[in-house]
Amino acid sequence: MSAPGRSQARIPQRAARSAEGSPVNAPATPLPGAGWLGCDCCGLVLSVAHDSEGRHRCPRCGHALYWRKPMSVQRTWAYLIAAAVTYVPANLMPIMSTTQAFRTSDHTLMAGILELWHDGAWGLSIIVFIASIAVPLMKIGALALLAWSVQYAPRWRQLERARVFGLIEAVGHWSMLDVYVVVLLVGMVRFGSVASAQTGPGLLAFAAVVVLTMLAAHSFDARLIWQEPPER
Amino acid sequence: MPGTAPDLVVCEHCGLAHRWVPLAPRAVARCTRCNGVLARGHRLDVQALLALTLAAAVVFLIAHGSRVITIELAGAVVSTTFPRAILIAWRAGEHGVAVLAGVTAVLAPALFIGIRLYLLLPLALGRVPAGLATCLRLLYQASRWNTVEVLTVAALLSLVRIAALADAAVGPGLLALAALAVMLAALESAGLRHLWWHRS
Repeated sequence: MSAPGRSQARIPQRAARSAEGSPVNAPATPLPGAGWLGCDCCGLVLSVAHDSEGRHRCPRCGHALYWRKPMSVQRTWAYLIAAAVTYVPANLMPIMSTTQAFRTSDHTLMAGILELWHDGAWGLSIIVFIASIAVPLMKIGALALLAWSVQYAPRWRQLERARVFGLIEAVGHWSMLDVYVVVLLVGMVRFGSVASAQTGPGLLAFAAVVVLTMLAAHSFDARLIWQEPPER
Repeated sequence: MPGTAPDLVVCEHCGLAHRWVPLAPRAVARCTRCNGVLARGHRLDVQALLALTLAAAVVFLIAHGSRVITIELAGAVVSTTFPRAILIAWRAGEHGVAVLAGVTAVLAPALFIGIRLYLLLPLALGRVPAGLATCLRLLYQASRWNTVEVLTVAALLSLVRIAALADAAVGPGLLALAALAVMLAALESAGLRHLWWHRS
């Protein structure tokens, strides 16, 4: 939404068709140089001066609102770099070690997936591969592309970029899968020297990757995808 | 309120403003620019939402209060609830992981249900609860970090991994977790704000 004239009075097609009542009166136009800002928390719509940097408070619920999240791209990059760095120990270090009949063995993320595959649980091993290896990697790559394109290719495939961001937000927390599995296994397999499981140093790194990529997604402001490039 | 537009709805994904029209139950309005969900037509009233939330609260207590998986190995039987597994991880020194798992799998769904109950109970009696705004903000964060559906799949996965090692059986907690995941998703899409503001 850019020019105040463009940002209003678009009736969504499906909404118009499924409406029970008749559409309400045409909306009041925002003040000159202002645009509509919606509260993420309660849905109230405010008229806010365009491109104002500061923080606004929703008068109804008190949620902090920004025209654009402050330092969105920089913060996204910072979280992404931290996530990419942490991704290395998360994959190389064992996330769990098991002791079985006095023999201790370490398990990395990939080893756990291969174990499931060799046991014949192909479906599960694919799910774990997607959740633990593919999703974090894709999130880092896709968010990096989104953050890059905001600055260098603002008009490139906007709809597809918006969809990719929606997908990242929807699948992001599935990477927690292996963290829970290890917590459950360590909590249950407690038979002393016969069989026991302990957490490994890679687990904390992996949990950090998950949280850092989630924070990176939360700090990216999807409205930047639709921002008109500055005119000179 | 001055400077607000009660007849508009702004897409929470891309920020484009649309004119608001009342939606029929189950109708979904999508953004004309980014195709994200703009608003839903809600059909559940206070009573129905309260009933669903109360049911979710009971299922939550079962899910986290009863054993998820039971294992038997060499005559010894071990079973655990998820909060207990987190406690064991904490005692093993994995504080970061324990806090993360506790917040996302226990605290977030507890808040998700608890805040709804706190808001809906007075409303069913015709009163507006105190601190509505704070509650809605907390609820926003709680639904963002809630991962019960992931925990359900994780419990199934652990069952498979343990079954290779020892005799493992599904506990009532695992079934309750699966039911809770479905109920929380239903509550999420059933909406809440329309009870006060006839919107979203």
